[in-house]
Amino acid sequence: MNVSPKAIPLRIDPSPLKTMLARRRAAFDKHGVYLERCPHKESNPIKFEVFYTKLSQYINNARDLAKQVAASPEMREMGESVLGLYTPEGDAVCLSPGLMVHVRTMSRAIKWMIDNDYETEVGIRPGDIFFNNDPYIGGGHAPDQQVIIPLFRDGTLIGWAGGMSHVSEVGAVEPGGMGISMKTRFHEGLYLPCTKIGENDLLRKDIEILIDRSVRASVWWLLDTRAKLAGVKLIRDAVNSLMDEYGEQYFLEVSEEYIEDTRRATVDKIRRVLYPGRYRDVGWRGVDQPELKTFLHAPVETTIRADGTLFIDTDGLSSAGTHPVQATLPLFEGILFNSLIQHVFYDTRYNEGTAMVLDYYVPAGSACNPPDIYHATALWGPAFAGGIACNQSISRAYYANGYLEEVHASNGQVNAVIAGGIDLFGRKFAGWNMEMCASGMFATAFMDGLDTAIAEFNAEGDSGDAEVWETALPLTYIGRSIRVDGGGPGRYRGGSGLYSTYLTPDVPKLELGSFGGAPIFTAPGLMGGYPAPVPTVYVVRNTNVRELISRRDPLPNAEGDPARPNVLTMVRGDAEIVKGGNYIARPIEPFSVYVQPGGDGSGFGDVLLRDPSAVKRDLDNGVISARMAGEVYGVAWDTEGNVDPDATQAKRRAIRRRRLERAIPAVDYKRRAREQLLAGELPAVAKDLYKDILNKPGRFRDEYYAFWQLPAGFEVR
Amino acid sequence: MPILDQEIADLVEGRLDLDRVRELQSEAKDPDRRERVIRAWQARVPWKDTIELCLQEGLFIVKHGPQRIVMCACGHEFCEYRTNWKEHALVYERDPQDGEVYAPGNSPDADWMVLREFYCPGCAMLLDTEGVPKGYPFIFNFLPFFPDDDASR
Repeated sequence: MNVSPKAIPLRIDPSPLKTMLARRRAAFDKHGVYLERCPHKESNPIKFEVFYTKLSQYINNARDLAKQVAASPEMREMGESVLGLYTPEGDAVCLSPGLMVHVRTMSRAIKWMIDNDYETEVGIRPGDIFFNNDPYIGGGHAPDQQVIIPLFRDGTLIGWAGGMSHVSEVGAVEPGGMGISMKTRFHEGLYLPCTKIGENDLLRKDIEILIDRSVRASVWWLLDTRAKLAGVKLIRDAVNSLMDEYGEQYFLEVSEEYIEDTRRATVDKIRRVLYPGRYRDVGWRGVDQPELKTFLHAPVETTIRADGTLFIDTDGLSSAGTHPVQATLPLFEGILFNSLIQHVFYDTRYNEGTAMVLDYYVPAGSACNPPDIYHATALWGPAFAGGIACNQSISRAYYANGYLEEVHASNGQVNAVIAGGIDLFGRKFAGWNMEMCASGMFATAFMDGLDTAIAEFNAEGDSGDAEVWETALPLTYIGRSIRVDGGGPGRYRGGSGLYSTYLTPDVPKLELGSFGGAPIFTAPGLMGGYPAPVPTVYVVRNTNVRELISRRDPLPNAEGDPARPNVLTMVRGDAEIVKGGNYIARPIEPFSVYVQPGGDGSGFGDVLLRDPSAVKRDLDNGVISARMAGEVYGVAWDTEGNVDPDATQAKRRAIRRRRLERAIPAVDYKRRAREQLLAGELPAVAKDLYKDILNKPGRFRDEYYAFWQLPAGFEVR
Repeated sequence: MPILDQEIADLVEGRLDLDRVRELQSEAKDPDRRERVIRAWQARVPWKDTIELCLQEGLFIVKHGPQRIVMCACGHEFCEYRTNWKEHALVYERDPQDGEVYAPGNSPDADWMVLREFYCPGCAMLLDTEGVPKGYPFIFNFLPFFPDDDASR
């Protein structure tokens, strides 16, 4: 390939930003690389690495500083942020740890400003401060808030610094920024699409008044904006310091080399560790409300090519609709990065070069590429499911190469309490908590998933202290325990997540709900493992909790038997059982009890291959029920409660016999299922799903018809 | 530290010390792992066909005469590898509400999803589960690209 580095523009380029960006895009489209050569790395690799280490440390420090300034627990304590440095055209050079979803969303926002003539019509000047939370420009949903500043050197724009964090109160129809009742953009709160919120390094007072009067409790938005601003200013200082030390030319040239070097390292990693092939896995999401039941299909075909590039095809994806369980294209892309960076590229740099090995097809008008910006995006939905499906496929590709230490099953739908109102001190409050950041971890090919351990969307996930949350949202924790039977069963079981029980306080105003999902499996098992169970929310009103407390009777601080949970047996009252957890925030009385699991991991491998001693350990620890131990894992006990090896073997043989007796050959299964399909004997929600996804021409539709051998004129009725 | 043959056997068996697994995750990947894991499996299975690829837990693609076929660890022969092996499995469609695997309060209603379980007809090993709505086709999870077989791409 004959590409001269001189063909790639920049250095300190006097061209308009729009021209520079157009040239950069054209060069990549033509040559498929960011640079032909990396002369600084070639001539002095030690200096190249030392410089990057310094740059990376500066950016990490900037994020740590921002955390110290932040108000919200999620930015302060739970890793819900990322900061980075960008080239003048908006290409990501170096990012902090944190939310890998947003490796490229700020890049998209910068490019959007350039494409929309901000340089000439809005003005991009030293000291300007831009803000964006429009997910169609770059981000996931209104709570994903970006602060971006241009970096100048002697009057010339030489890059950008950006900081992003999740801010959980945005003035939406429900508190907390994420709710199942958000059906259009106009339910989702305050959007500021790439808005100049400050000049000369000062935030504009009128914008702060706008925010303060548009959201329930503005402290998190306002102070977290200052936190990000503090962070990006530190990056600006670092850039100037590094330019003083290394020279401007070196800084600018080597920044481009890091992108190309990352692209090369990414291609190399894929070629070394992932077996080439065509992989398919499917994610699911849904909405379960009385007036709207919608099933969302997120099929992912991942093609790993021998040349080290990836192609993700989502043909068959459900259409966008009037509900919040969908995502923008930038978010879908971000979820793929989140999956791939954590699963494959964890030991390479991650920046714009990461994106260059990935190509994808997301149908226009689908739930991950809505037809217009009015579609709600609060709950991401199928994009997250697609990321999970992609991760399953990556695990298969590792497995084929023998790298079992990288193989894992999946995590599914997570759930959080959302609450708003006026607390006992008369202060407005609103937000969500992050119990879901202590979800159960997926099982792996070599060990169980850890309990209460991770959040797949947040590499540093942490549920935070109960006391902190009680300060932020005045709910009283009466229990935080490990969900019983939470992990999907398997040779290695999925980890169980948190099972949190709250007592509602006597405050002037309280709305409470959870965003949750439909009653479906969302964490598929891998290679014979079972999916994680459905998270179920329990709401008990008009309770006898005051009596229980006055009598000093126990409260339901743990789950107990999942078939008869303590919250239903120990408390009297009016109980609602919300399977999946789609529970719109609504007023709730004091001394109500609210139970919510955060999320769990799925299992790996056949349950009957599980070590019986591991089953006993889980039973002794209260992580699984006696039913699970005996009936699912087939473990039998002696009179002292220890594993009886012979009886266990016999029990497992009996389970295998039962499998063979009641299963039928696939050909017979298909014949029967086809007859049901042709006769229209499908549940209503499934019919609606197929009517949508089969209504569009494409590979999925063709293969669906071929699989079931359907006549050409067949339509789901 | 290079991974030893015994460690590969232990990894396959699920016996490898977790600290060592952690080291493997952090170290550069050994380039011949696939061949070494195949050798470890070849020594364990009760049949002589040559393993070409570990497809997933319990299933292999083996050279079987002129063909590559999917074979279970027990020796059951499924099909030519470009066909989805699930088409030749035993299938059980579980109502997730049956109370056997999940408490009914924590499992989908069958109106939303059923749980398909795919077993090996030879040894009854549970090879895959699919939580899907009724009427959903079998998912063809993995079609490997063999360097000498353009037809697989």
